[in-house]
Formats: sequence, C-alpha cells, structure tokens
Amino acid sequence: MAAVRLDELDFGKLDMLDVRGTAVELFTAGSGAPLLYLHGMDGIEGAAPLLRELAKSFTVYAPSHPGFGASALPKGMNRADDLGYFYIDLLDALGLDRPAVAASSFGGWVALELLTKEPARASSLVLAAPLGLRTANRREQYVADIFTMSRQDLAKRLQASEPSEASNIFKMPEDRLRRTMRGDEALSLYGWTPYMHNPKLAMRLHRIACPTLVLWGSADALVTPAYREAFAIALPQAGHEEIAGAGHLIHADQPAALASRIAAFAAAPVAA
Amino acid sequence: MKIWQFSEQAYHPAFPVPGAMRVTLPQHHCDPVLAGQLLNRYLDEYLLTDELGLDIMINEHHAAATCMSTSCMTTLAILARQTKQARLLALGIPLANRSNPLRVAEEIAMVDCLSGGRLEMGFVKGASYELFMSNRQPTGFMDRFWEAHDLILEALTNEGENFSWEGEHFHYRTVSMWPRPIQAPHPPVWMTASSANSARDYGKLGYVCATFLSGAVASSVFAGYREAYFQSFGKPAGLDRLAYLALVACAHNRDEAFRRAEKMKSYFTTAARVEPQHRNPWGFNPVEANVRALAAGPLAMRPRMRNGNPVPVDGSIEEYMDAGLMFVGTPDEVYEQLARFNIETGGFGNLLMMGQAGELDHAETVDNLTLVAREVAPRLAVLPEVPLDVRYEAVG
Repeated sequence: MAAVRLDELDFGKLDMLDVRGTAVELFTAGSGAPLLYLHGMDGIEGAAPLLRELAKSFTVYAPSHPGFGASALPKGMNRADDLGYFYIDLLDALGLDRPAVAASSFGGWVALELLTKEPARASSLVLAAPLGLRTANRREQYVADIFTMSRQDLAKRLQASEPSEASNIFKMPEDRLRRTMRGDEALSLYGWTPYMHNPKLAMRLHRIACPTLVLWGSADALVTPAYREAFAIALPQAGHEEIAGAGHLIHADQPAALASRIAAFAAAPVAA
Repeated sequence: MKIWQFSEQAYHPAFPVPGAMRVTLPQHHCDPVLAGQLLNRYLDEYLLTDELGLDIMINEHHAAATCMSTSCMTTLAILARQTKQARLLALGIPLANRSNPLRVAEEIAMVDCLSGGRLEMGFVKGASYELFMSNRQPTGFMDRFWEAHDLILEALTNEGENFSWEGEHFHYRTVSMWPRPIQAPHPPVWMTASSANSARDYGKLGYVCATFLSGAVASSVFAGYREAYFQSFGKPAGLDRLAYLALVACAHNRDEAFRRAEKMKSYFTTAARVEPQHRNPWGFNPVEANVRALAAGPLAMRPRMRNGNPVPVDGSIEEYMDAGLMFVGTPDEVYEQLARFNIETGGFGNLLMMGQAGELDHAETVDNLTLVAREVAPRLAVLPEVPLDVRYEAVG
C-alpha cells in the first residue's frame, strides 16, 4: 500500500521505509533529540494531536506497525513478540541507537516486547495506558473486550471526550476506511487470543532497564484498577502516574499534558 | 432433483426472549428437559424422512436458540444407526473453527462406517459469529480451512503407512483412521457459496456446491460453478453437483400451507437477531471485502425480490416466495414454483429443503414432509433438463 495524504499530519513527512524487505509507513516531524512513538489502536493518525506537541521538543519517528496504516505485513508475523524483533530492525534501519520511546495502549505492549529483548535501545520509556500483561484471570476481566463491543460503544469507552466524527466508519472516505479496516484486522491478528497480551511478558519485564514511566488516564474505561495494579507489580522499577481528564486514549483526550509529561520525563527521568 | 430434509432444530420457546438469539443469549433461558424433548422430536422427524425416501441434511451452530445441533457429527452418529437408506449430509462442519481437524476426520470415518457408507461431508466457512465461541483466530481463517481440508482428505484416503503432518496450522505425529470410511476414496465433499467467485473454487475441484437462501443470486453462483467445472473437467457439471436451500411449506390447501409458512417464518426473523459487532469480527473478512460492504450498505447482502428490492426481514410470505426463499402451497403449487425456480437458476439437482423451521409443530411437520415426499418428490425426480442455451443465459 502506498502512503496516503493524512491532513492531520501536515506538520511532518509521511514516507515509506524499507526494513529488511518490509515497506513501513513512517511519519517524521520536528527537531531535537530522537523519540520513537509506537501508536495504539487508532494508528498514527489518531495520535496526531500528541505528535504535533511532541514535535516541538523532539525529532519524532512514528511508524505504523506492520499491518496498520500503509505498512506491509510480512509473512509469518502474527504476534506482538514478532513486532518486538521487528522494531529492533527498524531502529537499526533508522540508525537510532537509544531514542526516547513513548507508546500508547497496544503500542505500549509493543514497546515492552522491544525493550525486554534489547533493554539498552531506549534512553527512557513512557507507556500511556499500556496493554500486554494478562488481560483477565479466568472469569475476572481486567481489560474490557474491544472485539465484543459495537463500534459506537467502543468509541465512547476509549475516550473521555466526545469521539471525533472523523472516526465514524460509516462516514469515512474510502482511503480512510481502508486504513481503519487494516488496523482492525491487525489488532485482531495480534490481539484476538490470548486477548491483547503475551503470557510470557510479565516474567520478562524485569529486563526493562531504562527509566520508565507508566501513565493512566484518570477516566480510563477500558482497563480496571486491578490491571494498573498488575503493571505496578510487574514494573516496580517504573514510576506510575495518572493524567487527569483522560480516558484510555490519553493522546486524544489530553495531548498537551501527555506531551509535556513525556518531554519532562525524557529530560529528567524521575517520577513526579 | 433430489430432496434433502433439513431442520435447524430450534429451541423456539426462547424466541420471545428480547434481544439477540445468538452469542449473548444466556443459557438459563433453556429448559434442558424441554430441549431434550424437542431434540428427540426433530430426530423422529428425520427418521420419518428416511422412511419417506428423502435424504437428510444436518447443520450446527453454537450458543444459539435458533439451532440446538451443536455438532453435525454427533447428530449424524445417531441417525447413522437409526436410519436405513437416507444419504446423511453434514452441511456443514466449520473446519476453521475446529481446533482439531484430525478429530473431525475420525468422526467422519466413524459415521461413514456406522451408516454403511451413507455420509456426505460438507466443509463450511461457517457464520462469522461462531468465532466468538470457537475463539479461533479470525485472521488467516481460510488458510486454516484449506489446510484442515487437505489433512482430512489425506487422512481419509490414506492407503499406505500412517503419516505425520507438520503444517502451518496443524501438527500431528501420527495420522491413522481406525475405523476408516467405507466410501472410497472418501465420502462426497460439499461446500457452500454465496457468490460466483467462491463457487468457481469448488467447481474447479468438482465438489458439490450448495447455496443457501440466496434467491436470484443462485443463478450466478451456479453459473460460476459450471464455468469452472467445465474448465477443469472438460465436460458440463452434472446437476447433482448443485444444491439450493429454501423453506417449503406444503399442505392440502393453500390457506393451510400459508399458515404453516407463517409459523416457519420465525426462522428468518430469529436467525437475523444477532448484535452487529458479532456479525463481522475484526480480521474475519478481507479488508477489501469490508470496504466494499460498507460502501454498499447493509441492504446489499439481502436477497432480492423480482422487482429488485431487498426482502425485509419481517417480509410477508409472498415476499419471501417472490425472492425464492420459500415455496408454499399445495403439492401442485409447490412443484410448479420449484420447477420455475429450477429453470430460472439454470437447473440444480439437490433441493435442501427446510421442511421444518421455526415454530412448525410435529404434526404439521409430519404432514408437510409426507406430502412433499409422496406428491412433490416423485415429480421433481423426473424434472425435464433445463436446455443448455437457457442454462448459459444465466452466466454473467
């Protein structure tokens, strides 16, 4: 798939990058220290308000995960674990040794897969409402099942603010719809079962060595307090904070607050 | 044309429960004693089908009040022993929802063996919402389907040493069918299609191709099949390769037939009751199919009446008849309607007849089946061939 024009990302460049034979859509913007942003369920376009803020402090690298946006899906890639290895290759292809890493939701899981494999590849890590740990224990659900919700219910549940009309699939132009359908398919590929997690991740998280901050939206309606607690236990080396007035999509609800916390943490990596 | 009797074996007492009839309907609405009585009743009707000289089709669904058969092969295991002559069609086994295709092959072999070689094995993609129960991966669904298909056929037909299987999706150290099927090389394969494209895939392989409740679309499904079959085999496909599924309500007089059709119509209204998010799990349909479907709108997939309008879910019996989904009337009328539909679709050799559906009760079902078997089936058995030029007019 060729990259399409995304008006909300008009403050940077959208290119295709070859990563060992896989064509990956890469958005770059801004100037300053390098920052790798790993997007969540709503793609790089969903993170546009956050990326606009981050570009004021960083040279932002925001790829679309394989299978999302216009990024190809290499044969055999079907686990977030695979994405972890893939992003080592992507950092190598970009010549990025130790960027700051920020990630949202599903992207947080991907960041953890990357940095449990090569802990030295980030100077700091900010996880905004990450997934990846066990999302349920038998009958107790820690993360609501996005695949069983209507689109309207899901859109409302993900955000504290009113979802934008642009995210309504029944009103999207065809090229946008195709991106959204690809993203949904990719989420299903990586996250249908086991639901949005890697059972092996928890026992590997001790390997996360860079300064790390976990952020949750105060009004996150997707994850339960028990899930936040599980992250606190699994990542005792990290700081754990809350962003007020934000749901699961912190980047959509509070882009400025999230960007300034990411920038401050990258500059002085200590929990508040 | 041969007739195969089929019932979804509904738990119709749950139909008045508000909301979805599938996936989310809690099981406390099921009285298991009543369910058992109904299941036995439906089996009795299948035994009558056998006595009447018709053939039998069984399906399966999961977490649904509309269909209590949760395993084709479990139901057919009973009928394999209790029927004497009917062909026994499983249509079908949702291969890509099964975690263990070798187990599927074993069940097929055992039922074929038990029945004296009367099994017909239908492999289906299955309804999208079944994924919520099987919880199998929605992506790569058809790759998995075809690998399971390949493995099952190799298992059933193996005349040599036991073998091992290391595939993309399935891994077995030893494949060995004890017992193995009676029919050689294997029981006939059926598949289902709702478009000419998917029918072409089956035409290439020469499998029996069935289309369900598709009305006018059946003619393009059959045309696609015939075209691909001819390319593969260098001769026209026999009528026995094609099948159409519809509801049949027959009675001695037209008014009674329509009363029966009204009771059967709850099949349509309840089958449609499923939450929108369960209709299309993320990753199940290809991206381009989703883009096309959203552009076309929700009515695009509804069967059409002769005036081109989609049949409303709660349409009248006349509207369902007009669309070719119900055949209703006296034996003469039902025969005439089917003979006309047969010509319109270019001809097909198998009528998959829902002679019981929805709330049609036992006595009515017995009468319906008996009338069809005695007064319609003999005439359908000797339907005149649809002339070839008419048949190929349907292509396009």
